Amino acid sequence: MMLIGFSTGALAFADFRRALGMLQDEGVEAVELSALRMPEWFPLIDALGTLDLSSFKYVSIHLPSQMQVDEERSVAESLQHVPRSHPLIIHPDAISDFGFWREFQDRLCIENMDSRKPIGRTEGELDRIFDQLPDAQLCFDVGHAWRVDPTMNVAYGILKGYRDRIVQVHVSEVNSRSKHDILSYSTMQAFRDVAHMIPRVPLILETPVSPRDMCQEMNKVRFAFLPLTSSVLPSGSVATIRCGPNVSV
Amino acid sequence: MQQQSLIEPPSELNRLHETLDMELPNINGARMDALRFRSRFEAAVFGLTSEDTSIVVFGSLARDEFTDGSDVDWTLLIDGVADPKHLDLARQVKGTLESMDAKDPGQEGVFGNLAFSHDIVHQIGGEDDSNSNTTRRILLILESRAIGRRDSFNRVLNHVLSRYISEDPRFLQRDAQFQIPRFLLNDFARYWRTMAVDFAHKRRTRGGTGMAIRNIKLRMSRKLIFVSGLLGCFSVHLQLADAEKAALLTADNPSQEFVRHLRRVFAQTPLEILAAVVNRYHHLGPIGKKLFGAYDKFLGTLRDPSGRARLNSIAPGAAEADPLFQELRAYSHEFRDALLELFFDEKTGLDRLTRTDGVF
Repeated sequence: MMLIGFSTGALAFADFRRALGMLQDEGVEAVELSALRMPEWFPLIDALGTLDLSSFKYVSIHLPSQMQVDEERSVAESLQHVPRSHPLIIHPDAISDFGFWREFQDRLCIENMDSRKPIGRTEGELDRIFDQLPDAQLCFDVGHAWRVDPTMNVAYGILKGYRDRIVQVHVSEVNSRSKHDILSYSTMQAFRDVAHMIPRVPLILETPVSPRDMCQEMNKVRFAFLPLTSSVLPSGSVATIRCGPNVSV
Repeated sequence: MQQQSLIEPPSELNRLHETLDMELPNINGARMDALRFRSRFEAAVFGLTSEDTSIVVFGSLARDEFTDGSDVDWTLLIDGVADPKHLDLARQVKGTLESMDAKDPGQEGVFGNLAFSHDIVHQIGGEDDSNSNTTRRILLILESRAIGRRDSFNRVLNHVLSRYISEDPRFLQRDAQFQIPRFLLNDFARYWRTMAVDFAHKRRTRGGTGMAIRNIKLRMSRKLIFVSGLLGCFSVHLQLADAEKAALLTADNPSQEFVRHLRRVFAQTPLEILAAVVNRYHHLGPIGKKLFGAYDKFLGTLRDPSGRARLNSIAPGAAEADPLFQELRAYSHEFRDALLELFFDEKTGLDRLTRTDGVF
């Protein structure tokens, strides 16, 4: 069973409640609660206990991508009340003090970065992060790896070195302005090149889509990551069926 | 911005001193000169490059064979959204080099300007693969270094090598007799013959001016580039232990793994690639002494301003009677003969590889 879901930030900017409603309407069973900007963080944490997440088989939380040192400390402290079952996704360049994060051990997932960032882009650069956080896991962002190297050689290197640590995969196209975009055919073909190396973990879409396009985008993910069962890109007709969140393979 | 970097192996030339127990003052001196110039250049263009643009140097500066009289062959490699300001950036690079008293690139116009990834990646073979495009592509693999950010450089190099490997994957099957990338090897061979034919073309179009130095370079440094390409293509057989070879062939994606292998091999200079073979097989010591001894003397002449100037000024038709030219030609014969011994050496298996893929 492969879970496919969305990041709330991709569906509804800074409005996780609306995004959760969209996902529940479509029967999607995996979600990443996203608070990429600092002002979004505490409202999300404060609301967490009140959200009905019972329909989701997988829930992860994406921490702010930029934090001052004092903010970093308070974000780390605020995580004490987050259920242990929710993986915590963090950008390595958001960390200024690894000491705040070591105690989270394997709950913490380092995300590989795109080419704009100075660290965490390649296997070698991730080595240096995992030296500091030896128990941390990996959120493999396949779009970031593709942006760094469209031949997928960098993706191959990351997967070769760290596939055993992968907890979830971020899926999107990262365009020339380094923004998340919907998946294109050539990018899907590139993803297929390494799909067989990715363990069966939740695939979280970061593509900005309207509710009407969610199913179409999830089917593209099936095409890209289940190459053994999908040799032909699903036709437009799939958009008329309910998403049917999980794929048995 | 921190650069992405490959982990470069320790220099095989350092090990070569122990292997051969001989001094190579000119090879070492040229290496130091190259390093110093690249460091100055790197500092001078700090902040100019971006995710989409890399300054790439070729020729003796990239090969660690730099001398005071060397041209600085460079290009602004663009792999990204088209931007008219890229031309301004190229002018900045040119101005920076002028302020460093660097010699301009050659007259052919292959270097010293913009180069776009699309042609380099897409036009391998066929009518649109021009002489300049082939030169940029092959030299990108065999003798290039990025100055400043290397994002574009890494992407384009991965793309080019991926094309040679993924479009010719039969050699990576375990039952293949030889693990040799023939598409790539054929392009190296084509480029070597192109350089030889272009030598004749330039002799005609330039009325023989500068023929002597071009002739010696063809016999030595240009030939060395081809040699390093051949050795790179043979490297699975020459440089990998059985377990490493098996790991490559059974990798999750042998094509990707092979690209990584080639990136490691070609991150070395041509002299280092040659030195790696000599270092690995001790019985090649006498051949190594001839090879590196002759090359060191060749570089010695180029490093000597008066020797270089004299070589440059030999009049058309006068080379046969010129003692310096004859001396260098004798070194080139030593180099050639040692290469023949190397490539037909039985213990390394190079004879079999050469007969199978190096001739026809």
